[in-house]
Amino acid sequence: MHIPDGFLATPVWATLDVAALPATGWIVRRAQREFEEARIPLLGVMGAFVFAAQMINFPVGIGTSGHLVGGALLAFTLGPAAASVVMAAILTIQALVFQDGGILALGPNVVNMAIAGVLAGYLPFYLWGGGRWRKLSIFAGGTLSVLVSAILALAELLISGVKMPGAVLGVSLALFVVSGLLEGGITLAVIQALESIQPGFIRKPAAGRSFALGAVSVGAVLLAAVGVLFASAAPDGIERLGRETGIAAHARTLLETPLSGYEVTFLHSSWAGRAAAGLAGLALIYIACLAIGRAVARHRSG
Amino acid sequence: MHHVVLERWSRGRSIIHRRDPRAKLATLLVFLVVLATAHHNLVWLSLALLAFLAAAVIAAGLPLTGALARAGIVLPFSAVFAAVSWLAGDPARAVALLLKSYLSALAVLVAVSTTPLPALIRGLEMTGAPRFLLMVAQFLYRYLFVISEEAQHMTKAAASRGATARSLAGSGSRFRAAAGALAVLFARSYGRAEDIHRAMLARGFEGSFRTLGALDFRRSDACFAALASLLLILTRVAIERAG
Repeated sequence: MHIPDGFLATPVWATLDVAALPATGWIVRRAQREFEEARIPLLGVMGAFVFAAQMINFPVGIGTSGHLVGGALLAFTLGPAAASVVMAAILTIQALVFQDGGILALGPNVVNMAIAGVLAGYLPFYLWGGGRWRKLSIFAGGTLSVLVSAILALAELLISGVKMPGAVLGVSLALFVVSGLLEGGITLAVIQALESIQPGFIRKPAAGRSFALGAVSVGAVLLAAVGVLFASAAPDGIERLGRETGIAAHARTLLETPLSGYEVTFLHSSWAGRAAAGLAGLALIYIACLAIGRAVARHRSG
Repeated sequence: MHHVVLERWSRGRSIIHRRDPRAKLATLLVFLVVLATAHHNLVWLSLALLAFLAAAVIAAGLPLTGALARAGIVLPFSAVFAAVSWLAGDPARAVALLLKSYLSALAVLVAVSTTPLPALIRGLEMTGAPRFLLMVAQFLYRYLFVISEEAQHMTKAAASRGATARSLAGSGSRFRAAAGALAVLFARSYGRAEDIHRAMLARGFEGSFRTLGALDFRRSDACFAALASLLLILTRVAIERAG
C-alpha cells in the first residue's frame, strides 16, 4: 500500500520524512559495511527482480491471484540492511517514475515498507531461523513484513484524520491478514525452491546479528501492534486523541512558537505560518541530511 | 509501457527540459508543500494549480491529454479512500483526497517527464541524498526493462506449456510451479548482477558513476525556481484571501 501525496496530514508526513532520513542514512551505512561499494549492481538488479516478480502470478483460491512483495525474501537472501536499501530504492523509483506513492509521502512509505516492514519480516528468522522452527520463521517473516507495513500505513492514515467506519476497518484488517499470509506462503515456497537450486543463496541468520537491528525490528512490530490498538480504539484519529489528552494542543504551541514572531510581524495569517513551518521543516531535513552525509564521509575516510 | 513513454518525453529540448534538475526539484517541492498544506478554497486553488501544470506541459511540448491521463494512475486508489470518507460523512475530505493526490501525481509527472532520470538522480545526489541509495536506484531503473522482459519470457514459456490450463493441474502444484519460476528468476538475476559487476570492474569501475558533462546551475535556473515558487505561493495567498 503506497500512500500518495495529499493523504497524510502535514505533521504526519513531515515527522516521518524527518524520521526517515537519519534512519535511511543509518541503514545505508550498515549495508555499505556489509557490501562494499562495488557491489551496487547486485542490489540494483535484485530491486529490478522484485519489480519483475510482480509479473509472476500465484494462484489463490478461485480466480484470484497474488504476487510477491519481496521485502522478507530480500532480507533472507541479502541481509536486512541491504534489503532495506533495495526496498527504499524501489519506493523511490516507484514514486518518481510510476507515480505510485507520493514524494512528500516517500518518508512515510520508506518507514512503513523499507524499514519497519523489512526488519519486522527479518525478526522471526533472526530469532529462530537457525533451528527447528526454520520453515515457520520464514513463513512468519513474510507474513509479518506485509502486515506490519500495512498496519503502519493504516494507522498513519487514521492519525491524519481519514475517517473509516468500523466495518471498513475490519474488512481492511482482514484483507491485510490474508495478503500477509499469502506473502508468507510465497516467500517460503520461493526460499525452498531457491534452496533446491543453490543453498548458498540464503544467509545464515547469524550473519546479520546485531543488537541495534534487533531492537529496531522489535520496535517496528510493537509499533504496528500499538497501531492496531489505536485503530480499533480511536477511529476518529488524532483530533479525538488530542481532545482527550491535550497533547495535540501542547505540540501545536511547541511547533509554532519558533515561528510565531514572524507570523505576527508580517504574515498575519495562520496558513502562511503553516507553510513557513513546512518549508522550515524541509530546510531542517536538508540540513540534517547534509550533516549526516558529512559525518558518514568523515567516518569513512578517517 | 508507462516508463518507455516517460523516457521518450524526457528527451525533449523545450525551455522546461533545459532547466537544471535541481531547479525543477526545488519548484516541485514548493508545489507539493503549497498543495499539501492547503485547506481553504481547495477547489479554486486546485484549478489554478491545474492551469499552471497544464501551461508547463504545453510549454514542454508534451501531449496534454496524455499527461492528464497518465497522472490518473493514482485515482483508483484515491477513489476508494474518497468513497470511504464520503460514507463516513466527510465529503470535504473526499474531494480533498482526490484533488490533492491527482495534482501531486501530475506535478511529479511533469517534473519527471521533462528530466531524464539519470539527470534527475544526479540532481538529487547533489542536494545531499545518500549516494549509495541513489546509485542502487539508478541501477534498478537501468535493469528494470531487462529483468521484466526475462519474467515475461518465462510466463509466456510457462503458458505455452499449458501452465494456465486450470483443469490440468491443481492450485497447489501451480503455486509450486510459480515459486519455482520465481526462484529461477532470482538465480538468473543474481548471476547477471555478478556478470555486470565483473564487466564493470574490467572497465575500471571504482565505486561511483562518472558522467560526461557536469550539471550547471545557471542564473536562468535560479530565476525559474524563484519565479515559479513565488507564483505558486502568491496564488495561494490570493485565493485564501479571496475566500
